Formats: sequence, structure tokens, C-alpha cells
Amino acid sequence: MAFEPNEEQKVLKYDELRIYSDEELNNYTDEELKEFKCKHDIPDMDELEKGPWPSFVADCKREALHRRNLADDRMMIDRDVVEDMLGQLQVSFDEGETHWKHGGIVGVFGYGGGVIGRYSDLQERFPSIAHFHTMRINQPASKFYSSDYLRCVCDLWEYRGSGLMNLHGSTGDIICIGTFTEQLEPIFYELGHVLQQDLGGSGSNLRTPACCIGKARCEWSCIDTQAMCYELTHYYQDELHRPAFPYKFKFKFDGCPNGCVASIARSDMSFIGTWKDDIRIDQEAVQAYIGGEFAPNAGAHAGKDWGKFDIEKEVVNLCPTNCMWMEDGKLMIDNKECTRCMHCINTMPRALKPGVETGVSILFGAKAPILDGAQMSLLTIPFMKCEPPYDNIKEVVEKIWEWWPEEGKNRERLGELIQRQGVAKLLKVLGIPPMPQMVTEPRSNPYIFWKEEDVPGGWDRDINDYRSRHAI
Amino acid sequence: MDEIKEAILAFAEKSKKSKFYFNDIQKAVQKVIPDAKARPIKKAATALINEEKLIYFSTGSSTMYGLKGRGQTEDH
Repeated sequence: MAFEPNEEQKVLKYDELRIYSDEELNNYTDEELKEFKCKHDIPDMDELEKGPWPSFVADCKREALHRRNLADDRMMIDRDVVEDMLGQLQVSFDEGETHWKHGGIVGVFGYGGGVIGRYSDLQERFPSIAHFHTMRINQPASKFYSSDYLRCVCDLWEYRGSGLMNLHGSTGDIICIGTFTEQLEPIFYELGHVLQQDLGGSGSNLRTPACCIGKARCEWSCIDTQAMCYELTHYYQDELHRPAFPYKFKFKFDGCPNGCVASIARSDMSFIGTWKDDIRIDQEAVQAYIGGEFAPNAGAHAGKDWGKFDIEKEVVNLCPTNCMWMEDGKLMIDNKECTRCMHCINTMPRALKPGVETGVSILFGAKAPILDGAQMSLLTIPFMKCEPPYDNIKEVVEKIWEWWPEEGKNRERLGELIQRQGVAKLLKVLGIPPMPQMVTEPRSNPYIFWKEEDVPGGWDRDINDYRSRHAI
Repeated sequence: MDEIKEAILAFAEKSKKSKFYFNDIQKAVQKVIPDAKARPIKKAATALINEEKLIYFSTGSSTMYGLKGRGQTEDH
């Protein structure tokens, strides 16, 4: 059964929940900002601010000035937190080493994730950042939120944290950077009970599931990514908050093979919307593209004159499997050869659309490590129906979660376990047959050692009798 | 459940290390109770966390369990 919330979701109204007045939020002038001097000498930080790109240092200075001008009782942690952070960063630049100590036993009661402990090892010099914990807030599906919601989160973090945030972290969470241990529970209470918002994942657990914009705004989405992300997030709450995996585990949901959340590169289990039938072709619209009535790529490259649209050059000849051709002025597609590259659909969105028999492809084992280089996930289940309450998909998830925690080494991702034990083992765990596309190269070992159960009828052989005639 | 909780605490008290992975807990419990499955072991470990006998230790990327009061006792 699909998840149903115990209480109705509230519409957050900033005017009812706000902590700060407009005067407090706009409490400095441009002149004051120009004149602002950090309490520490930070020449390298000032240098980072120069150049053409927006700088986090500029943002930090605004926040530092803002905190300087707030009244003492309007912040629950020290007002100098941002200036001390910049000061310590300058020391790290000077000395070429970090002064953060990561990790610890901090968290909120009952949760093993969502809070990442961090401490300064220069606490006497920078007392305002003695604790500088991060909290990860589970982002709304597709990162859809109202400005009222965002303002409420910002006010809360200004009041009980440093005011520094990162929207969004790689996994999609709203990352709130820098608070003290005693503020963690009050923030968690406010988030849960007032803003109806949960913490995200960290540590050896299911990380905050992330999805693309899906059917909310995208006509190509083959699955309702938001519904699926919401359902699996709630269904697997225990895995999200109480870590018992060998290492992190990520779900990501892409509505179509364009892969806007890059699930294929960044998640242990990637869900990508696809279709089973044929690409829908509107031949009249194809002619309109050829005739120049419709701009290719919906006008995305209209900033430069690329000449007349050439369907052969720009679509047909770029098909990676050569499955398209023009015949009597009509665009033809050999659909069984299509690998869902999406190029033709992206180029001529008014003429071509994904099929109507939609579902999901499931891939396993991607990760984006710092040292080893990226590993893409392996297409293992080409098509599966994808409808609430997603019982067929939960069954697949749980087969993987029977195998990986049991046989994975500590800090070994699913993709590494697949590499170590082989794709054949993954297929056995899932109970699905291999496909030729899974073979990357011919066997280098010409021998096949059959097991008795693999051969119809099996065989009878007495190994001792055999050895009596064949000495080793 | 109680039997598993006792096995977890016995392992945590005897262990030379102050922090251990869930896998280590699972293996230790299964030595004492061979048919114990991962799910009930996790439930027992979670109950011990809620009873404040065990603690989570997180580096941010991976999480370990520890016996409360042993090793790192303060919040840093």
C-alpha cells in the first residue's frame, strides 16, 4: 500500500512563521558592505573574491555584516561565526592544511544520519566555530518549494545556526553549514513539527533519494518521478535514518533517458524512465522542421545562425545505432534498434515523442569516487512497469539489500561488490537471465566449467572411481 | 530480541575497539545465535540506541556503533 501521511501537509506561510522582520533582514547598506572589514586579516580570501565569478567569500561577508547588525538576542549562536570561519580558512591557506576535525557522535535522538559533526582544532583562536556541525535537510521532491518555505528554513538557520547554507548538496539535500551541538535538537523539532520537514541521509545508510522534475513540468517524463521518490523515501525511512549498511546507498530517479539528475552516474540504483513501444512520429511536424517553420531544439541554439536545418546531418546521421532514415520524404525509425539516446527527440520535440507504453529501466552500481574515477551503473533490468505502490520495484530493492549488506565489505559500494563478485552473481541474486549487451568483451578463458545443475539430466560420476584410474 | 541485545552488548563490552561497523555486530551475534538474521539484529541495535546504551559514530560518509561511555564519551 502506498504511503499516506498521518497529518495533512500544511501550506507554510512565511508571514505567520517568520522570525525576523524586514528591517532585520535588510539591516545594512551597500556603502557599509563596501567598507566591511573582517575581524581577522584574510588577504587570500579577499583575493578569492576578485575575478569574474560570484564568490562564496562575497556571500560570507554579507552574512557576517548582517550578523554584526543583528541584536544579541536574535541569534542563538555567536555572531562572529562567519568571520571566524573565514579567519580559519585563511590560516588553512597559510599553512596548507585543514583545521577541521570531521565526525563524531553528534546527532538527533534516534537518528544515525542527517547531522555531520565538525569541530575546529583552533578553538581558542576561533571560539565561534568550536562546533561547526552540518545538518542535511531532505529536499522536497524535484526541489520544488515555495519562497515561503525557503524563507522559513533560512530564518530558522539564521536564528539557530550560522546562516550559511548550500543549496543544494550533491545528493540534493538543503545543506545547513555550521551550528553548535545544543542547537541540533531544537532545529530538528522545528523542522519536523513546524515545517513538516525531515532530515536527509548521511553515513552508512540510504541517502536522500533525488528525482528530476518529472511529470510536473516535463513532457518527456515516462514515469512520475516525484511520486516514486516520495513513496520510496517514506517506505524506506528505517534505512534512511538508522544506518546498518556497509556504506552509503543512493537511489535516483530520472523521468527519461536525458537523465537530468544523472542517476546513471551517481546512484547505486538508478531508475530511468523509458518506453517499450515505438517513438511517436508526427510527419507533418517533421516537414515543418525541414521547412524551417519550427526551430530545432525548441530554439535552444537560436543565439547563433547555424544555417538551414538539415535533418540528415543533424538527426539521421547522428543516430548512434543508425536506426533512422528518410523514405519518400518521411522519417522512418527501426525502433527495435533504438538505444534511447534521446537526440532525435531533443532536436525535434514537436515531431517526435517517447512511446506511450512507459516504465522504468533499472541500473546498478554507479559511484563518483574521488580517487578511482567514476563508474557508471550497469543496465540490468531494461524495462519494468512502474506504478504505485511500486511493489515490483521494492521487491528488486530488497533482493539487493539481502545481498550487498551480507556480502559487501565495510565501506564497499554496490558497484564495487558487483565488480568483485561479477555480474553473473548480481543476475543470480536478482533471478534474471543475462543479456548479450552485458558482455563487454569475449571470454579470455576458453573453458566453461558446467555445474551439474546447469546440464539437463545432470550426470553421475564417482570421483574416487575416476581417481583410481587417473592418478593426479 | 532480548537475547540479541545481550549478545550485542556482550560483544561491545568485550571488543578491543571502541567503534565497530554493523557487519561486525552482525557477525558477533551470529556466532552466538547462528540463525539470527540481519533485520532483527538491526532492530535490536536500534533499540539499544534508543535506550542510550549504544551510540552512533558518524564520519559523515560512514557510520559505526559504539558503547555509550566508552572511547569518545563527550561530543568531541
